[in-house]
Amino acid sequence: MKEIVFENVCKKYGKNTIIENLNFTVHSGERLILLGASGCGKSTTLRMIAGLEDITSGNLYMNGQRVNDIVSGKRNLSMVFQNYALYPHMTVTENIIYGLKIQKLPQAEIHARLTAALGKLELDGLENRKPKDLSGGQRQRVALARAVVKRSELLLLDEPLSNLDAQLRVHARKELVKIHQAYKQTFVYVTHDQVEAMTIGDRVAILDKGRLQVIDTPNNVYNRPANIFTAKFIGSPGMNIFKGSYSDHFLQLGKQSIKLSEAWSAYIGEKNCREFYFGIRPEHILLYREKHRDTFAGVVKYVEEYGSRRGIYFETEGSEVVAVTEASDFKPGSNIYFAADSDKLHIFDSKNKKNIGYPEVYHGNIYQYQSV
Amino acid sequence: MKIDSSLKWHVLLCIALFVSLMPIVFAISTSFKELSEAYGNVLGLIPHNPTMANYLRIFQELPLNQITLNTVIVAFAVTVFKIVTSVMAAYAFVYFNFKGKNLLYIILISTIFIPFTMTMIPNYLIISQIGLRNNIIGVILPQLSDATGIFLIRQAMRSIPLSFIEAARLEQAGIFHIMFGIVLPLAKPAVISTGIMFFINSWNEYVWPVLILKDTANYTLPLALQLFISSEGGTDFCVAMAVSVVTMIIPLGLYLIFQKYIISTFTSSGVKG
Repeated sequence: MKEIVFENVCKKYGKNTIIENLNFTVHSGERLILLGASGCGKSTTLRMIAGLEDITSGNLYMNGQRVNDIVSGKRNLSMVFQNYALYPHMTVTENIIYGLKIQKLPQAEIHARLTAALGKLELDGLENRKPKDLSGGQRQRVALARAVVKRSELLLLDEPLSNLDAQLRVHARKELVKIHQAYKQTFVYVTHDQVEAMTIGDRVAILDKGRLQVIDTPNNVYNRPANIFTAKFIGSPGMNIFKGSYSDHFLQLGKQSIKLSEAWSAYIGEKNCREFYFGIRPEHILLYREKHRDTFAGVVKYVEEYGSRRGIYFETEGSEVVAVTEASDFKPGSNIYFAADSDKLHIFDSKNKKNIGYPEVYHGNIYQYQSV
Repeated sequence: MKIDSSLKWHVLLCIALFVSLMPIVFAISTSFKELSEAYGNVLGLIPHNPTMANYLRIFQELPLNQITLNTVIVAFAVTVFKIVTSVMAAYAFVYFNFKGKNLLYIILISTIFIPFTMTMIPNYLIISQIGLRNNIIGVILPQLSDATGIFLIRQAMRSIPLSFIEAARLEQAGIFHIMFGIVLPLAKPAVISTGIMFFINSWNEYVWPVLILKDTANYTLPLALQLFISSEGGTDFCVAMAVSVVTMIIPLGLYLIFQKYIISTFTSSGVKG
């Protein structure tokens, strides 16, 4: 299976830099997700792997071979396009075997691969339909079938689930992982949907404005965000970030202060800096209706209903904080008291906005990824 | 309210249909009349004494089979050549990137606005110099390239999603595979309707053939029609209408065969971006 290495890869359109100095490796056989908001350069990155975009500078290697100048057809990869790119004048079968016929594979081999793919992707009975007679989910599976029959070492997927409705998407996510386990190709998958990224990826690479922010496992991306961008980007709602200072066991946020645990105090004490950004996930904020010891006051501004839980947006000392809770009795305008669990804090350098790390006692603190 | 507005459209369409069909029905009807009736009963659609005499006369007086064959050869040659060059040029303008592409395209498209009268004399001199006067090849030659077709087919090709082409490139499909296997089938309605347009334009062409062709045996159908309109013995409308009917049979037949493509081209061009 294919290993892909980006070495100082840049992409420019005229004066506009789309991708800046990209360096990372896609390991052989893994499912790597390129995640980011629209316009961040994730699709361009994928298209550079496919050979559909030229690389302005830098090197792209596949299995050790530099492929910058190798045309897409010779890179031994298959791709599922966002619009599926199924040919409207061909039937399902003709679409699936289009590439195999160009490669002039023996008829028996084509038939065997077709039958296997039709079965695996539950397309039996649709062989002679035209794409316009298929549902969105069926079209997506035909596109996937066309990609897998090629048995290439690398499968590229460009937002393949974005045209499906929410329920179908949950089902298709599982199917994609199953397909990967069956064919074990290297998977590079582009999406703007973080739930897709977290559930499908072995590793997630987050891009912002053409720069790679982080590349790590879904668990680490969520629980050990490498920088403030990642912390805010992943999780819905994203992490609350405050600027504050540390002095003698206490975190000072405006007029309020939080007592830090011994472990955090010792850890921060070793750092030279006293100014930090502090982050806490909405689900790690504890909410109370009455004042307790070590709680702070705020006023509820807005309540977001997620079904099983609620997002409570409240204001404290002029800044907005969001907490997620199962309780349903917080109403806009009401007073609220809250506390942050100092064991679940994230602390970022005030200058480079990178995570300063965690005291050793918290290394096992891995929480469940939550989304709504 | 809905019925009212659809009724309004129906009335409007009926008027349009009447205006466009009337001359054709008039021509067919007159071609079966005797000359005296054609003057006496101008608007009567059903001839009192239907006669085949007009048709017999044109086949006797003219080498009409030869003339029809000439017209078919000219129209088919012009159509096929123009379609081939238009498709290839449109493909290059849509899918290839080369220096000066847009400028070249603008220059090419601006040739649409050069009137025929401007190129008529230079073309005549060239054709005379190479000795193709009074020869249907001389009629065909200057008509072989045309920017209108490039424009129309390019528009159709541009509406094909680029991902279709990219998906084919990933499968190692070469340019001919992509052109004949993907682009042409998807641009088929535009190619066919452009072809029909070329065919009809060439079929109806009058001024250029009249400059080039001298012998009746080399004539095309519109020239044959003219023989009966301005002949010294006065205009015989009935015979002229019989030639008209013969002239329109082939284009009409082609239209009936290909009408579904023609309609889909003109209805989709307004909707697609």
